[in-house]
Amino acid sequence: MAYRYIQQYIFILSCLMLSFYVKAQGQQPATPGGDTSALVLRTRDIFIPSPQRIPVLYGEVSRKSIVGSIATVYTNQLSATPATLYAYALPGRLAGLYTQQTSGFRNPGTGNNFDVDIFVGNIPKSGAMEPSDNTEMNLWLRGQVPVTIVDGVQRDVFSIDPENIESISVLKDGLSTILLGQRSSRGVLLVTTKRARPGKPRLSFTAQTGIQQSLSLPKPLPAWEYAYLLNEALQNDGKAPLYKEADFLAFRDQTSPATHPDVNWYDAILRNNAPLSRYNLNINGGGNVARYSVSLNYTDQQGIFKTSSANTYNTNARLKRYLINTDVNIDVSRNLNVGMQIFGRLQEGTQPGAGINSLLSDLLATPSVAYPIHNPNGSWGGTNNLTTNLLSQTINSGYIQDNSKDVMANIDLRYDMGDWLPGLSVKGKGNLSIQSSNAFDRSKRELVYRMTVAQGDTAYTKYGQAITQKNDFITVFNAQYFFGQLSLNYDRQFGLHGISAVVLADRRQTIYNYDLPGKSTNLSAKVAYNYADKYFIEGALNRSGFNRYMPGKQYGTFFAGGIGWDMAQEHFIKGKANWLNQLKLRATYAHTGNGIDNSGYYIWRQDFSENNGIGGGIYEQGTARSPASGFQENGLANVNISWETARKLDVGIDVSLFDNQLQITGDYYHDRYADLLQIRGKSIALSGASYPPENIGVNLYYGGELTLTYQGRMNDLNYFITANGSIEQSKVLFMDEQRRDYDWNKRTGMPVGMRFGYIADGFFQSAEEAAGSATIAGYKPIPGDIKYKDLNGDGTINQFDEAPIGTFKPRIYYGISAGISWKGFELSAMLQGVANRTNYVANFATEMGFQFVNFTYGQAYEQITGRWTPETANTATYPRLTADANHNYNKASSSFWVRNGSYVRLKNLNIAYNLPYAWMHRLRLANVKVFANAQNLFTHAAYDFVDPEVGVGAYPIQRVLNTGINIKF
Amino acid sequence: MKQSRMMFLLAGCLISLLACRKDYEAIPLEKVTIEYVFDKDDSLGTYANKFLNSIYSKLPGGYNRVGGDLLDAASDDAISGLSGTSGVSQLATGAFTPYATIGDETPWGNAYAAIRAASIFVSNIDVSPVKEKLPNGSSIRYAWKAEARFIRALFYFELLKRYGGIPLMGDKVRELGDDVQVPRSSFADCVQYIVGECDAIKDSLRPNPVVAPELNSHRVTRGAALALKARVLLYAASPLFNGQNIEPGNVLTGYTSYDKERWKLAADAARDLINENTFSLLPNFKHIFTTQQNSEVIFFRQGGNNTTIETTNGPIGFAQVARGRTNPTQELVDAFPTDAGLPITDPLSGYNSNDPYAHRDPRLAMSVLYNGARWLNTEIQTFQGGQHISSGAEPGTKTAYYMRKFMGDFENAAQYSNISHDWIFFRYTEVLLNFAEAENEYSGPTAAVYQVLKDLRSRAGITAGDNGMYGLKEGMSTEEMRNTIRHERRIELAFEEHRFWDIRRWKIAAQVYGKPLHGMSILKEAAVFNYNIVEVFKPVFTAPRMYLYPIPYDEVVKNDNMRQNPGW
Repeated sequence: MAYRYIQQYIFILSCLMLSFYVKAQGQQPATPGGDTSALVLRTRDIFIPSPQRIPVLYGEVSRKSIVGSIATVYTNQLSATPATLYAYALPGRLAGLYTQQTSGFRNPGTGNNFDVDIFVGNIPKSGAMEPSDNTEMNLWLRGQVPVTIVDGVQRDVFSIDPENIESISVLKDGLSTILLGQRSSRGVLLVTTKRARPGKPRLSFTAQTGIQQSLSLPKPLPAWEYAYLLNEALQNDGKAPLYKEADFLAFRDQTSPATHPDVNWYDAILRNNAPLSRYNLNINGGGNVARYSVSLNYTDQQGIFKTSSANTYNTNARLKRYLINTDVNIDVSRNLNVGMQIFGRLQEGTQPGAGINSLLSDLLATPSVAYPIHNPNGSWGGTNNLTTNLLSQTINSGYIQDNSKDVMANIDLRYDMGDWLPGLSVKGKGNLSIQSSNAFDRSKRELVYRMTVAQGDTAYTKYGQAITQKNDFITVFNAQYFFGQLSLNYDRQFGLHGISAVVLADRRQTIYNYDLPGKSTNLSAKVAYNYADKYFIEGALNRSGFNRYMPGKQYGTFFAGGIGWDMAQEHFIKGKANWLNQLKLRATYAHTGNGIDNSGYYIWRQDFSENNGIGGGIYEQGTARSPASGFQENGLANVNISWETARKLDVGIDVSLFDNQLQITGDYYHDRYADLLQIRGKSIALSGASYPPENIGVNLYYGGELTLTYQGRMNDLNYFITANGSIEQSKVLFMDEQRRDYDWNKRTGMPVGMRFGYIADGFFQSAEEAAGSATIAGYKPIPGDIKYKDLNGDGTINQFDEAPIGTFKPRIYYGISAGISWKGFELSAMLQGVANRTNYVANFATEMGFQFVNFTYGQAYEQITGRWTPETANTATYPRLTADANHNYNKASSSFWVRNGSYVRLKNLNIAYNLPYAWMHRLRLANVKVFANAQNLFTHAAYDFVDPEVGVGAYPIQRVLNTGINIKF
Repeated sequence: MKQSRMMFLLAGCLISLLACRKDYEAIPLEKVTIEYVFDKDDSLGTYANKFLNSIYSKLPGGYNRVGGDLLDAASDDAISGLSGTSGVSQLATGAFTPYATIGDETPWGNAYAAIRAASIFVSNIDVSPVKEKLPNGSSIRYAWKAEARFIRALFYFELLKRYGGIPLMGDKVRELGDDVQVPRSSFADCVQYIVGECDAIKDSLRPNPVVAPELNSHRVTRGAALALKARVLLYAASPLFNGQNIEPGNVLTGYTSYDKERWKLAADAARDLINENTFSLLPNFKHIFTTQQNSEVIFFRQGGNNTTIETTNGPIGFAQVARGRTNPTQELVDAFPTDAGLPITDPLSGYNSNDPYAHRDPRLAMSVLYNGARWLNTEIQTFQGGQHISSGAEPGTKTAYYMRKFMGDFENAAQYSNISHDWIFFRYTEVLLNFAEAENEYSGPTAAVYQVLKDLRSRAGITAGDNGMYGLKEGMSTEEMRNTIRHERRIELAFEEHRFWDIRRWKIAAQVYGKPLHGMSILKEAAVFNYNIVEVFKPVFTAPRMYLYPIPYDEVVKNDNMRQNPGW
């Protein structure tokens, strides 16, 4: 424990010492006059910057010349988010980007990413997706998962410190992404880190620490209520009750905790808050020849589980991460510029030996009455069916540690050939990165005991299986990436004619574990022309290939074009309406592809493999039963497999008014995705083999986005408000659907991913009603069961009565953020929300209770008190209780479990104070800022038994209250 | 000059980075293609043998196969110990439709996957120059090929008894884009195909007993092919398909007319195997199921050395946790005669309803655990409030009986230990009973028919009696003999996945399932047991449609040539 804190202090101290050292080595303290830049910078901090040049794919261009659809968010909006990944800062910030959090903590990889076979050694789990460090937040850009690009390199890295990020953009239209060739359909999440800038050394040190609190934990029933309701459930099932009057009393009065325990397991194994700390040091500076930037970051996030001081090791869920990012930029000669960047990440995580996920699922399932934490003799409680003790599993099951290492080295060369042809330059980029992750399993398990009293004698029976502490080493993941790119650029202005052209070739190679490298190659050309910054036209052509398609079918051609017209520059407006700074109409159209991540692993080859098909393949030989491996045919090969395509249209308008104080951006898009990989409708089992994905489906996504930003100033008061809203609709145009006899069964024409199920129509109120209604074959409903609509009127409820039960309404998501700054004070807040969303809340542990858990009845939660009973027939919100392990009638997919999933969150609140400049000057500091911020402070959800985003049983979503200090030298 | 040097350096660097080097193979070599599996240069046939192995691995296991229960728990012999609905209770109450099938009892997809694998083997093995020879001098690859054909035929039969005529796929292995909209073949054609396959392969297969059983006991042998043929012909001759077709005139659901000669074919097929004299009855009934390579086993699926059967089906309430899944019914228990071979309804049998388990056919104690039976060093207590009866959510006996068959001899053991648990598809007893049934139908209760029953009863330990008839009535009519054989078959082959199909092919399922099933409620009053028969389960059977399963809806709607079974 103490060691941990010492470690942190050493880190902070060394950062500070390093800061002072660099400062001392640097230039003389600046004169007050020279420091105005810092002053200006400070007052502008809260503004939403609108730089002249903005980053695009593989470069940056003038903001004015953009004809595509790009939304950008900058450092100061990101850095107020207390979280371990920058993804947490994105919800609500960018129009067109829809997010859903799935877990409040990372999902550590501790399992092998390959199969180990005793006969042939290692077999890679082929065709694995891009490894990502983001296991907590799902991101969709106009309905597609975007490709993440960090400083021009395609890598799913989400753990960059927000302080080091210059900007994050989403590239939404086809023209902006076309250079990605076979990955161009999905849109891009473009991350640009802060680069070295010339000037005297600038140091910035930030230390912040906060607490995390779990939100929306399910509320378990106390023991007596559980016992009472379980009896009711058993009675409904026609079985004898399990508890008697004396039992209820014993549970309620807690007179006999050994035999009648009442344990709130949530209180027993979870703590109320867990710390999260981050430290960051940036050094940036340099001269005319060379510039440098170094940043260090340390993050320590602790989990929600209780720990025991008896352990010398950490058993809690925890993440410790060290990041280093250095960047050097050198003008080698007048024409040659070399940039080098090295990014390194060391990450160490722990979790209880039982594993986070299994603990959380046991927590959800274990009844309050199951067993006492400790028996009177001090041994762990348990039963013959629940053979592990939850608290023992939390604090006494050893630990699993996972370590991952990442190194990414970038080199950028730029040679200016302006001597030969003005405006011509050659650029080269190389990136090598490696990633490896392994884990140590030092888990263990202890026996549990059940106390029984018979004829006055107390006896303890032991259950379960003790496992002595393991010491296993697991190689989780290994990856190597290589990216090389060479481009010839031409950029020149001839009077009013601006022309810019690029010819580009690149190759990306990824090796995951033992898979053969995936090699993607792009050859592209892009030309943009503008006349007087008034008319813009741009076109691009791409030839892109991937080596896992069948030879001869590896390369495809993709293209895009766009036009723009800034009416504000026309002389009939210019000069007449000075308040109008920009009125640009723009449009792009692109034919894009999506093939690299879904190509499969050489699935065009009909191949056979050992021991991993249906049924295992191993069969024992003779009376000796010596196991011998089997060879099996893998699924049918698809020799025609190819990339998915899309035709994407984007039409937009950009308006700037009143000296750019008010900016409006609007977009409409119409993206038609075709050749989507799907299993054919006529997948007849007679062939005896599983069918491969084929290029079949056609989906349409269309919608619009609107962003409004206003920023202004009154004397010392700066303020801004920015709001964005997105509306998104999708439709399945074709899916080779099997024959449907009824229109309401048809999936074609529905929104993509529409859920189908029965239409719930209240509860059966009487035995007569239940007996006289249509039901699922073999089930006799009783009063209190959900009544389903028999849509085709055939007297049974079956798949012909399944209808769409999701929403047809377009998805709407939005974010509003506003802030003010006044004399060093800063205040900003952000609201984020989603409307027209449904949430399918079919976690039956909480929604129905008493689920089958290893031959016993599971926990029940507050929800079920709204159950149907004859007395509450008219007000019941849940079906009658049941404890039948195989009761599936009420669990059928139906509209009953579809709840309104709309919500609004006060996602972020940030308060900061910059200490007065006069004090700082005396201390020879540039700036000191103290701040406090909070994440997920308040949520309003239409259905509030569960969190609208993170599902029941997952690591709960956290509220974070955070404070910190930033010192600039 | 200096700059252009730089330029070349730069260009050189990048080109060498971009150039593709020959580091890796172009395609993954660990994923082999068919040329490697059936290698025309491999005289050991290594991969081919492994391919055959994977076909064996697709054979269904019998124990607790249907949602954790034995299929027999869906017949009138047993019920599931699980409370609420289970796969077998859905089978027994007809809670299945073409749209909602019972997954573990709908082998459609798995069977056709196995059939495809076997066909791949059959159509490709000929290129492998396997050197190893059978004792008769022919290459072992002919035996391998025949083994694959047998497994394919077995899967067709598994489909046939469930669905009637099914699509026969031949040897063709279909690729993506090939036509798979194959129509169903008639019942007659399917029987002919399966029987034809058995005839074609029987001489290529290994003879019985197999050489080197430590390596080869699991292999398909000549005996297996003959036994499959006998069983298929018996089913084909049975009333459901022969004369009492559920839809007269429908060639898919059976023969369109009755033909007595089909019984002769069935009897002859069984007699062929019996006459080979390669199998014999094992003296100890209990050990048939737990002894490897015994004289009665014709073909089995490997089940391993374990305690799975015991811990799944054994009585609850012991320190060693068991789940009591299979609960024999009172109907089955009552079917066992007394140790004199007389039915308990016979006043002369000496049966005492106040001490119902005394002086019974020894097979009762070897098949069923009842109150007072010895198990794990304890007397089983299934009386109300006893140690081995269920409470709470745990499954446990609902009939006061647990299954005993297939388990090791744990009467006086402290705990379970590993025991051989192979699932026997064909054993000699069944062939004898098949013969007796068919022979009785064709020629009447001949001496040979009587002899089968006497042999079985003698082995079971029933006393021969003064007349040496083991309690059998002399001079029975065909009708009486038929009932006697059916009765014997029920108790001899209990829990072996026969009863469920037998009541269908005899077309008596509607009567059998028309009555509720019973268990025993035992009250212990001052060391005296009071036995009361109570109702425990109410099966539902809709005739005639439930005599055959529905074809899965997807297969009908996706295949324009597929016809659904009548009534579904």
